[in-house]
Amino acid sequence: MPPEVTLRARGLVKRFAAPSGPPIEVLRSVDLEVRAGEMVCIEGASGSGKSTLLNVLGLLEDAEAGEVWFGDQPVSRLSRSAKSRERGRWLGFVFQAFLLLPSLTALDNVLLAARYVGRAGADARRRAETLLERLGVAHRRDHYPAQLSGGEQQRVAFCRAILNDPPLLLADEPTGNLDEDNGAVILAGLRDRARAGGAVVVVSHRPEAARAATAVFTLADGALTLRRSAYKEASR
Amino acid sequence: MRAALRALRGYAFTVAGIAIGVAGIVALGAMAERIVAFIEGGDRFVLGQISVAGRGMGMGAGFTAGGLLPAASIEAIRKVEGVQGVQPQVMLPLNPSTSQFLTLTQELVVGMDVSIPTPNRHYPELPVRDGRFLRAADRRRAVVGAAFAASHGLAVGSPLVLEGERYEVVGVLERMMTAPDRFVIVPIADARDQWVAKDRLLRTLLASGAAALRADDLNTGAAVGWRPGADPDAVALRIREQVSGVNVQIPSELSALLRSSTAFFSALLVGIGALALVIGGLSLANTVAAAVFERIRDFGVKRALGASDWHLAREVLAEALAVTISGGVLGVALAITLGVSVDRWVQRAGQELFLFSPRLLGGALVFSLALGTAAATYAALRIVRLSPAEAIRRGSAA
Repeated sequence: MPPEVTLRARGLVKRFAAPSGPPIEVLRSVDLEVRAGEMVCIEGASGSGKSTLLNVLGLLEDAEAGEVWFGDQPVSRLSRSAKSRERGRWLGFVFQAFLLLPSLTALDNVLLAARYVGRAGADARRRAETLLERLGVAHRRDHYPAQLSGGEQQRVAFCRAILNDPPLLLADEPTGNLDEDNGAVILAGLRDRARAGGAVVVVSHRPEAARAATAVFTLADGALTLRRSAYKEASR
Repeated sequence: MRAALRALRGYAFTVAGIAIGVAGIVALGAMAERIVAFIEGGDRFVLGQISVAGRGMGMGAGFTAGGLLPAASIEAIRKVEGVQGVQPQVMLPLNPSTSQFLTLTQELVVGMDVSIPTPNRHYPELPVRDGRFLRAADRRRAVVGAAFAASHGLAVGSPLVLEGERYEVVGVLERMMTAPDRFVIVPIADARDQWVAKDRLLRTLLASGAAALRADDLNTGAAVGWRPGADPDAVALRIREQVSGVNVQIPSELSALLRSSTAFFSALLVGIGALALVIGGLSLANTVAAAVFERIRDFGVKRALGASDWHLAREVLAEALAVTISGGVLGVALAITLGVSVDRWVQRAGQELFLFSPRLLGGALVFSLALGTAAATYAALRIVRLSPAEAIRRGSAA
């Protein structure tokens, strides 16, 4: 029996207004299913809509049509606050630009993830410190983002993304601004999440990301096409 | 506490911006308050008595500007129905070369017959800050107003030379924000001597023996009180009807005159107040809103991490309140520091520009707090309506 579906998207359509002429359709009826333990890699040319797809899947912006489910719960049409709640409960984000809050230390940035889901406290602090230790940035816990290298910032951001142990991790070009070594650390972290039973969707140009993934999709002309799937290959 | 300090440090420029806005409001407001206090104080002083002067244009100045008010006239006033207490006075400009215009701001020598209780209902006793008030037996003693003391560097025990005569300062009045702040109050006999010394015409007249004048005829005016329950306007009109050769100021007419003569200041006051609120308010609101919008990306990230509208609104408002209160308090402190420094400097010329009343300070803080909250609420509403992705995009592009 296959693992249960963590993320499902059906018929996603997303358009952006163009400076002139008709709107640009970046997603055309996109379907996607990600199961627990899967790491899905989405590739595509720059500007093909990969980040937009990730934003829609993560409820960071709305699609014009289609539906997204977390588990068996439809979440696309929830209220703003309900979407926030579901994001806090289901998702962890890793962004290409790290997006750490400049006014907070590394530790406080990690703990921020716990604040909005009601987990702030000694347990969250302990877990945050453990994660920083595991990612090799514990000695930087009291430093501010401006005092950290890009690789260190992304490690901190990764700790923040997994602090609440979310069932689904969305990573948008998580290694885009990193050197090879730091990129490898982050990719290993994402792969470990999937191996531990989490679902991971990663948008990346890197061949290493595709190699680490259990399924690889290509987004082109608004359409998402499966290139390789470990499950399909296994079932064959 | 550490986190709050760290957060405030991040808002240093915002707090400074708010402080400047609030300082502007408070400083301009304090100047307006000073003008109000001056007008109201003057009104209160002149309305506490009926001022009577001898008819004509003489040496006297101040409220009793006019000609000679002889003892016979004072006696006649005393007999008018409703009158309770007549205090002869001599008011002279300290420096006769200056104009008699602007009598509310002119430095005056006031001779008082302190053997008669002061009939001014609002100031039965002039409040003494240091030393004492004049006594009936005093000669060559002076009590000076607060502004006069400050501008001439006088204190209790200081010597003061008036018309070549040496006086000893025995008292300094409390600041009253009106005319007595610039008074030098001396025994009326001394003031009469000064009058003769200052006025060549009077001296010639007395020397010629052409006029049968006694010392107690040398009054420029008198402060007249009224009996309890009597209508001061009616009493003043009766004096005018029954005593010849006097100028009587009807209290209500004088009040109206004072208000019309200070209408310019009142208009200026409204202008200053409006300007302070608009400039300071816009500066404050703009600073708070800009500070919130500046962090739009952070709010987008927080939304991505699960922050609800309520979480964000609470954080925005709490931060806005913290920076507004900090900026407000700092602004008030800045305005007071500047105001006190400027006042110290201009006090040497007998001036005082600022009055930091509790209502002004409280009002400025409440106003800034309300405006800061409104600006933060506006900014928060704009931000929570954005999708997290849009907030991150806009914040990253900024």
